[in-house]
Amino acid sequence: MRRHLAKAMAAAAALSLAVTACGSSEPEAGASGDGGGSTLTVTVWNLAKTPEFKALFDAFEQANPGVKVQPVDILADDYAEKVTTMLAGGDKTDVITMKNVTDYSRYSSRGQLAEITDLAKSGDTANLAGLDAFNVAEKYYALPYRQDFWLLYYNKKYFEQAGVKAPEALTWDEYGKIAQQLTKSEGGKKVYGTYHHTWRSVVQAIAAAQTGGDQLSGDYSFFNDQYAVALGLQKAGAAIDFGTAMAQKSDYRTMFETGATAMMPMGTWYISGILEAKKAGKTDVDWALAPMPQRPGGSGVTTFGSPTAFAVNKRSENADLAKKFVQFAAGKAGAEAISKVGVVPALQSPEITEAYFKNEGMPTDEVSKKAFAPDKVNLEMPVSENTSDIDTILKEEHELIMVGDKAPADGIRSMNERVKSEVLN
Amino acid sequence: MAHVLTKPAPTAPPAPPRRSRRRRDILVGWSFILPNFVGFALFTLVPMLAAFALAFLEWDSYSAPEWVGLDNFAKLIDDENFHVALRNTLFYAAGHIPLTLVAALGLAMALNRKLRGVPFFRTAAFFPYITSLVAVAVVWNMLFNPTAGPVNQVLEAIGVSDPPRWVASTDWAMPAVIITSVWRDMGYYMVLYLAGLQTIPKEYYEAARVDGANAWQRFWSITVPCLRPTTFFVVVMLTIQSFKVLDLIVVMTDGGPGRSTLVLAQLVYREGITEGQFGYSSAIALVLFVIVLTVTVVQFRINERRSAS
Repeated sequence: MRRHLAKAMAAAAALSLAVTACGSSEPEAGASGDGGGSTLTVTVWNLAKTPEFKALFDAFEQANPGVKVQPVDILADDYAEKVTTMLAGGDKTDVITMKNVTDYSRYSSRGQLAEITDLAKSGDTANLAGLDAFNVAEKYYALPYRQDFWLLYYNKKYFEQAGVKAPEALTWDEYGKIAQQLTKSEGGKKVYGTYHHTWRSVVQAIAAAQTGGDQLSGDYSFFNDQYAVALGLQKAGAAIDFGTAMAQKSDYRTMFETGATAMMPMGTWYISGILEAKKAGKTDVDWALAPMPQRPGGSGVTTFGSPTAFAVNKRSENADLAKKFVQFAAGKAGAEAISKVGVVPALQSPEITEAYFKNEGMPTDEVSKKAFAPDKVNLEMPVSENTSDIDTILKEEHELIMVGDKAPADGIRSMNERVKSEVLN
Repeated sequence: MAHVLTKPAPTAPPAPPRRSRRRRDILVGWSFILPNFVGFALFTLVPMLAAFALAFLEWDSYSAPEWVGLDNFAKLIDDENFHVALRNTLFYAAGHIPLTLVAALGLAMALNRKLRGVPFFRTAAFFPYITSLVAVAVVWNMLFNPTAGPVNQVLEAIGVSDPPRWVASTDWAMPAVIITSVWRDMGYYMVLYLAGLQTIPKEYYEAARVDGANAWQRFWSITVPCLRPTTFFVVVMLTIQSFKVLDLIVVMTDGGPGRSTLVLAQLVYREGITEGQFGYSSAIALVLFVIVLTVTVVQFRINERRSAS
């Protein structure tokens, strides 16, 4: 009896490993030529609300008659986990969209993406912003097609009402003062001076970018000043309290578009969101852009950002066409296609920026244009095999500081200790 | 095969040999459960056995797995995330099990009478259980909103000067989750208790009344002992459910603030799906399994001993 049981167990384990295709030799990308024919599958998120994808696919289909792009649509919130699961299960979708660099580091280090160093080293990538982020030991597994960076959105109406001029070059102190000045109650509704979303980047990534601190280092004293700014605004009632925002699952779009906040630091991806909301008549917010506030004594405008990229799935049976698409999206034609829908392309040139500001509904003032050309864009989170572990720890401690459970000094101390003991040991 | 008898046969047809009939019965039996069993085997049993094997491997789901023996378990012992998650899971279970039990029994007692409107209230109490869990989590998050939530507004109105900050505080996030889950689950267990209450013979209560027992004595001496089988079932189900809690917490707090509501099932998910360490994740899952199994076996033993006495 016992022997039978052992046999059955072994068989079951073997079967399950076979089912999950574990340990099988993986096919080389492109080995099977055009097994997929001329249909290209691409993972995307919220297709209906993310116009850049359709713009790119249409342009690519037009440039390559006979080719059909088939999107694999995934909910934005579940995107990372779903793609992780797909890749782990041996999914053969040709092109995988890299929503952020952290996920990219994960997939590339697991060997799930095909190497495309030849494309990255080819001539026309010199002006491709954010390409460095995809360099893993001098090899590339993805090419960026858009580069988002953070700037300050503000509500022009509130600024005019309060007689405050456009925030062209603010320090963090000035930003805090203006936020307090603009906080008011209007007809029983509170208007906050600014809104800080609950992501840790709002405090931590901007601190790292502007102080030169390294978020993978295990020493986080450089977060200090930025926490003082964020907590000060919260204490003064000029920004919504973090715990409330977390409990409400606050939506930054709603905050800004309903006029619940006068200012909001956010990424450039939101521009296309506002343009669309205004076009659909969902909001009448009169908005403009300004550069991110800076540390005192800093020179120029430093902000942080993150590129979005396309990569070729190592298991793709249509690798040549997939590579062609990745190159197309990162090139001039791709940049023009997504500029038209208000998305910031990774490929930068004066003509493309010019074309971008011609979009209907874009602010036309000089400060907005200036905001669009920061002097330095640092990567939101550096890439390494430790990125995702450290990310989790920094997020947990960030929450504790922001809900007032820990003083910033204590929170930072425990970030240092935890990153050192749990990750860098 | 079967032949219809139009009139009583003079003699019974010879019975088929017993062996082949038995075999046929077995085949028929198997063919009835096969469709369900195949699904169960493919999607539950095999993955479960695979997870047992995986716990002794290091595997990122992509490259070839590597045999690491007990390394994953050694890592567990020093992993602070595991300690935190285990503590939180026990805290959740310690709150969720007794509170749901008391709430469900209380509801069942209150609604176990023949009055007008009782069916409506029974349905109402059962409703949270069939409501979408995400909706439940989001709505309770709004109720628990530390500044603008109705819960705290009520507390302030009745004179609590500094109400808890609920999901925005490390001390109160887990109690908030427990309250929500008790509210959600009590209706289901109430139905089980209602069924249990219906089986208690009325004569017992009448006899007790004649002997002059008050309501409290009747409850303790008749209701509670007669409900023992139901209570046992409810406790076992609640225990298993509590240790496996995941969905409600993911939507309400996502383990936060900090790690204050991180539970074992969530750690399994995080280490496996997000971090790609399927071996380590399976080891945590195996520990969770052993904990639940042990607690359940102990409960069965206690129950047996009680029934015997």
